[in-house]
Amino acid sequence: MTEKTFVEDLRQIVGAANVLDGAVDLQLYQYDGFLVERRPDAVVFVRTTEEVSRVVQTCNKHGRPFVPRGGGTNLTGGTIPFSGGVVIEMIRMNQILEVDCASLWARVQPGLFNLELGNALAPMGYQFLPDPASQKAATLGGNIAENAGGPHCFKYGVTTNHILGLTVVLPDGKVVVLGGTAPDPSGYDLTGLFVGSEGTLGICTELVAKIVRLPEGVKTMLAIYDSIEDGSKTVSAIVAAGMVPATLEMMDQLVIQAVEASIHCGLPLDCATVLLIEVDGLKDDLASQCKAIEDLCLAHGAREVRVAKDDAERNMLWAGRRGAFGAVARLAPSFLVCDGTVPRTALPEAVRKVAEVALKYDLRIPNVFHAGDGNLHPLILFDWRDADQKARVVKAGMEILALCASLGGTISGEHGVGLEKMEAMRLVMSEADIQTQRRVKQTFDPGNLANPGKMFPAAEEVSCAR
Amino acid sequence: MHADLEALCGQLEAIVGQEHVAAGVARTAPFAVDGVLPELVVRPGTQEEVSRVVAACAKVGAAMIPWGGGTAMGMGNAPQRAQVVIQLERLDRLVEWDPANLCVTAEAGMRLTALQEILARDRAILPLDPPAGHRVTLGGLVAANQNGPGRLLYGTVRDWLLGLRVVLPDGERIHCGGRVIKNVSGYDMNKLFIRSMGTLGIVTEATFKLLPMPRERAAVIGLFPDLARAWAVAQEVRASFLLPEALDLLNPEAVSLLAPTLGLSAGAGTCALAVALAGSPETVERQARDFTALFETGGGTARSLPIGQAGPAWNTIRNLLDGATAANPARILCKLTTPIALTGDLVAAACRAGQAGGLRTTVVAHAGSGVIWAQFLPGMEGEREAPVAKALEGLRQEAEAAGGGLTLHDAPPPLKRQVDAWGAPGDGLDMMRRLKAEFDPRGLCNPGRFVGGI
Repeated sequence: MTEKTFVEDLRQIVGAANVLDGAVDLQLYQYDGFLVERRPDAVVFVRTTEEVSRVVQTCNKHGRPFVPRGGGTNLTGGTIPFSGGVVIEMIRMNQILEVDCASLWARVQPGLFNLELGNALAPMGYQFLPDPASQKAATLGGNIAENAGGPHCFKYGVTTNHILGLTVVLPDGKVVVLGGTAPDPSGYDLTGLFVGSEGTLGICTELVAKIVRLPEGVKTMLAIYDSIEDGSKTVSAIVAAGMVPATLEMMDQLVIQAVEASIHCGLPLDCATVLLIEVDGLKDDLASQCKAIEDLCLAHGAREVRVAKDDAERNMLWAGRRGAFGAVARLAPSFLVCDGTVPRTALPEAVRKVAEVALKYDLRIPNVFHAGDGNLHPLILFDWRDADQKARVVKAGMEILALCASLGGTISGEHGVGLEKMEAMRLVMSEADIQTQRRVKQTFDPGNLANPGKMFPAAEEVSCAR
Repeated sequence: MHADLEALCGQLEAIVGQEHVAAGVARTAPFAVDGVLPELVVRPGTQEEVSRVVAACAKVGAAMIPWGGGTAMGMGNAPQRAQVVIQLERLDRLVEWDPANLCVTAEAGMRLTALQEILARDRAILPLDPPAGHRVTLGGLVAANQNGPGRLLYGTVRDWLLGLRVVLPDGERIHCGGRVIKNVSGYDMNKLFIRSMGTLGIVTEATFKLLPMPRERAAVIGLFPDLARAWAVAQEVRASFLLPEALDLLNPEAVSLLAPTLGLSAGAGTCALAVALAGSPETVERQARDFTALFETGGGTARSLPIGQAGPAWNTIRNLLDGATAANPARILCKLTTPIALTGDLVAAACRAGQAGGLRTTVVAHAGSGVIWAQFLPGMEGEREAPVAKALEGLRQEAEAAGGGLTLHDAPPPLKRQVDAWGAPGDGLDMMRRLKAEFDPRGLCNPGRFVGGI
């Protein structure tokens, strides 16, 4: 089958204006937040489940791979059409279809940005809890594909804990509705299996999100430290004292300096780390929780603790954290985000070892952490034009994942495996474990067309050629 | 016994020791599942032994039934066949307990209460509270997705399980997940085994995340003259900021069963809302006050129970429909699910269905979660199955029309032949069958008990 008939078939489904196959257009879809690039053969903009199903059927007919894409914020190469084929652009499927506050769910299309759902629910007094830092630009479909986390998952869990049902186009084009608006559907938890499958088991075209009441009260505070170790120890001490804050976020000095330069939120430039803590829930004990946490911070060496007095101050504290990845662009032209996770108490050791890796490879590695859940984001800075530096970055990244695994953690907390960590899977899984997952993939996608060449270490080597 | 099974018996004895293999009707009868009697009961002592037992059974094509505390053995359809029950109670070791990281790993045969006792010494809890926690094993908790009233605040197994070790149907041992609370390294394989009823493999070890033990507890029980008023108040709770740990709605039969133990004086027709509160002293005290006011303005009476009485009261409520307490071979236990706002309607429907079938009907609904437990017992005359089956099918239709369903968790085998235990399996059935065929192509693990004949 020629290229021309393939693209022609796609145009038949969605209309000529919704298929891109020009070189310049395609170039815009050849990268995401990772280092590998690969141009797709075509990009298709879809608007309905039916269209997605027909596009997928056409891919089957022509034996072409397909990759769904939302906001393109993926950090591990998950949205790169590594084996060619079609990028199915979901961004126009962005409607909120129905909100039922009495039964606590919202039926939504996957191209909606995470933050837009939050903004729509807030005036009704409700929220969708998963809140990845990229929520302004990350779609819910992407959140589902990656099982995204965010600052609030220490208390509230990750995306999978908040998805009741999915409409999925399977790799053969068949449409299935999994789960729904009632709890505990019969049979295997295919919804749970699908969330986090990185587009390799099919494409989500609609979701039923669990929503909850906004909390009665929220208090946000910032503790400032001269030592990262003291900050990490405070985190463990807060949990040991029986408290479950909604967030426990840390940034190191390099990140603080970059954030301050770009956002001016009043962070001290000379401190080693800041710990952003938020408690929420019924208002009755928030003040006493704040006081107890403040005491713990000071007892563990904090030089200052600031409590946000109002929403404006709270937003300012959060702007710093949410803008961290963006602000780091001031420090270097490129960075590779690592996503290793360790048991919370191993954080100080992990931070020390990351610093050793930075020295060993002569790289700068600032750090942002979801400290409550032990999820580190070392940001390995580099200049993509420097091939030697880039090679060191890849090695350093792998070494950081290995050290997380050796501390009892894992290679990815919330960004996914994608192309980046396929080989690293062996750090945390036996061949039998990986083979069992491959059997799931094989069952869903015997033709290997849904985002092929991702997630599992395979025979072919991943190249990092740009 | 068939020659193959006799040989298998010898092999199993070699793996686990003669004293841990039972044969003969007298010893296997207690392990009958819906009247289907196994030929052997084997009790492996280690995860490695489970793997070798499963491999040996697989080699001769013997059907295997995993068995933990036996609390969910009434769940699902009757097995198509049952040769070997694999009893896991000897796998009761604590593997790793890390209080600082609020993470625990234990073998599948450990009882939930035994685990909670260990955790309590360091002031932690696994916030899952199914009935009969002293019999429920961790493996059964996962495989049967068992939970209780606390799911309102804490969710279910899928919200707390971090990792699993599983023996696949061919005896291979695998590991899923890990022990960190965020983990997207590969597929979320834990989800495949939760509520799979051992049809894809046998859980041998589980890792859970935990919560610090709440500092304070209390309970408030509201009595209402009818279901409508109780349900109206339950809906107000959901629209409020209040965060109860549990909110159960009890029908008059349930209230009359509980009244003596809880010291309630309730007239005929009285419904109740029971609230469990957990947290800091400030929030518990405030909520006890708010709930009392809410119940009273809603046309009910409220009784507040302090910390010492709240726990025992909730134990009684939680265990009201436990099979051992309500031992009766004719009992039918159904779980109904529904979008949350339709819970009240479905409770009423369950009561009507019981009446239509001439059955004594006890309903305990997790009113904020969309889950309703309904127990039906035959009246004095001794009912025939036909009207009962018709009543259950009617109730199932109502639940499915609302977007939920009805599943059987206990029922006499003749009734199960008329009423499928699972109801409409939905669009996913074809993929479920394909997964089953991939992992257990010969249908050796719990054959026929699961959805769609899996």
